[in-house]
Amino acid sequence: MSEEILAPLAGKIIQLNLEVGQSVEEDEEVLVIEAMKMETPVFAPGSGTVSAIKVKEGDQVEEDDVLAVIDN
Amino acid sequence: MRPYFEKMTAFGRELKPSQHKQTAKNRTALETAEADIQEQVETVKAAGFLTEKINARGQMTVWQRLDYLVDPDSWCPLHMLYNPMDNEEGTTNVIDGLGRISGKWAVIIGFDNKVMAGAWLPGQSENILRVTDLAKRLNVPLVWLVNCSGAKLTEQEKFYANRRGAGTPFFRHAELEQMGIPVLAGIYGTNPAGGGYQSISPTILFAHKNCNIAVGGAGIVSGMAPKGHFDMEMAASLIDKAKHFKAQPPGTVKTHYDETGFFRYVFEEEQGVLDGLKDYMQDIPAYHPKFFRVAPPQDTQFPVDDIYSLLPLEPKRVYEFDQILARLVDGGEHMEFQPDRGPEVYTGLCKVDGFLVACIGNRQGYLGKDYPEYADYPGFGGKLYRQGLIKMNEFVTLCGRDRIPIVWFQDTTGIDVGDAAEKAELLGLGQSLIYSIQQTDIPMMLVVLRKGTAAAHYVMGGPTANRHNAFTLGTVASEIYVMHGETAAVATYARRLVKEDEAGRPLEPVVEKMNELAQEYHDKSRPLFCARTGLVDEIVAIKDLRRYLTAFAGAAYQNPKSICPQHQMILPRIIKG
Repeated sequence: MSEEILAPLAGKIIQLNLEVGQSVEEDEEVLVIEAMKMETPVFAPGSGTVSAIKVKEGDQVEEDDVLAVIDN
Repeated sequence: MRPYFEKMTAFGRELKPSQHKQTAKNRTALETAEADIQEQVETVKAAGFLTEKINARGQMTVWQRLDYLVDPDSWCPLHMLYNPMDNEEGTTNVIDGLGRISGKWAVIIGFDNKVMAGAWLPGQSENILRVTDLAKRLNVPLVWLVNCSGAKLTEQEKFYANRRGAGTPFFRHAELEQMGIPVLAGIYGTNPAGGGYQSISPTILFAHKNCNIAVGGAGIVSGMAPKGHFDMEMAASLIDKAKHFKAQPPGTVKTHYDETGFFRYVFEEEQGVLDGLKDYMQDIPAYHPKFFRVAPPQDTQFPVDDIYSLLPLEPKRVYEFDQILARLVDGGEHMEFQPDRGPEVYTGLCKVDGFLVACIGNRQGYLGKDYPEYADYPGFGGKLYRQGLIKMNEFVTLCGRDRIPIVWFQDTTGIDVGDAAEKAELLGLGQSLIYSIQQTDIPMMLVVLRKGTAAAHYVMGGPTANRHNAFTLGTVASEIYVMHGETAAVATYARRLVKEDEAGRPLEPVVEKMNELAQEYHDKSRPLFCARTGLVDEIVAIKDLRRYLTAFAGAAYQNPKSICPQHQMILPRIIKG
């Protein structure tokens, strides 16, 4: 089963703590989005292995954009 | 009302080991900053003579007196770093805080007899007035440890006179007494002039056998006609007279116990004075906590220590305010008011030590699509918008009606600005919140978790609410300024940049000034600056926040000026629906 990590808001990816194949735990901080001069951490919705990363640092994203995929 | 309060709705979530691990650097940074603040506090405590020197004279220091007087684990110091006039002594020379004596809450203050035998110093009267205001707001006794040698004569112009000068506390003592709030004084040492009035203005005087209080001091070497100046001839005469001068300070126990009766009690030992204070505090009128508690006291559901993982020291990082609040209140329970409106602010009822308190705080982060409803830009926590301002107005008004003390938590970048915000009436709503606060008569306290900015710092229960804000705490993450330094630099120098650019002159000097201004804003908004200048009353370690909330709630409910029966409160019913 796969779970998508979605952008909770529009902004710029300023930190990406993910690699394909990496194991992540639920609620682990996986990236940071900057918007309105604030940094919002994004957390893994579930535990699993990162199967795809759709963004890189510096990318602008919109709310609900898929940022990465975790296979449970 | 047991069904409302005994078991409220649970909130907050346990932190996972991975979350602790990821935030370890933040925790270390906070703890390091707190250790730095504590170092400053220790410097203040060490000011003046060594403890051993004072003890060798048969006297206790103010710290030893406080240690003996105050119930263990109840002491909540305030103004430890307050030094608004930048005294070289590093202190205003009074030590104060909230604490229990014989189980009853009091505001306690003493002169630091290690520093110039407890003399008046610049900034001290402002410190004392904050303390008298605190006793008045919480309606609890003021207990003084008097040991005041008079004025630092070489700086008298900085504190002796003036509307809020060193004589003003005597009027405040009279005001407290006329309100039915007793001022108890334990008196030590020599207390002439200002010290005399510090001693005589309280309600009941507990004197140590060696103390004296008087209108004037022992008498200055006299007998010389004033010449308008000093010269070597005079100096020689002064030396001769001073060597033979043997006057005793007036106003000893012999006068003020045996003859005037000003001293209610005299004690042989220093500790006896403190025992006398304890004895009286035992018998002051106070409601037993069972009278106002809405539920048995409960520990927090989650460790307070978690907050070191939850509150980012980095001011740009967002976090969940609710998670922090859940760790400061009994049982991790609350009744949230209007959760579906004004998402940028939390408003709700919680319990602290079994007492009902209202909590208001800024939430952080993106607030979701289509909010604020009046604007085409996204809403972010930290800012205040129309719904949040209306919600706070309603909540504060109802808290006033129900007589529920309020704990405010600030981390705000200000009220929303721009044409859309003006059309949404935010200027009026901000002042309306001020009006709402002012028309209540309930005690409030404030914790500036991180940012206190612009008018939002005023309207969210800030210290400018003189009659309501009992005290304001900061953390090592606090920063208080009218706006961010970079914003100020742009506001100040943008036009100059244009002018210089159009004139073909170099821009580097202007850029340099902008950086200087931004740096100045940074330096003058740090926690230490805020504590020294009184923007906050104390920088408190995160692990001690709950202790201050407990002291505030306990003191607020000890002798409230006005009561709303629990079963006649309307706010819990509005929340339940």
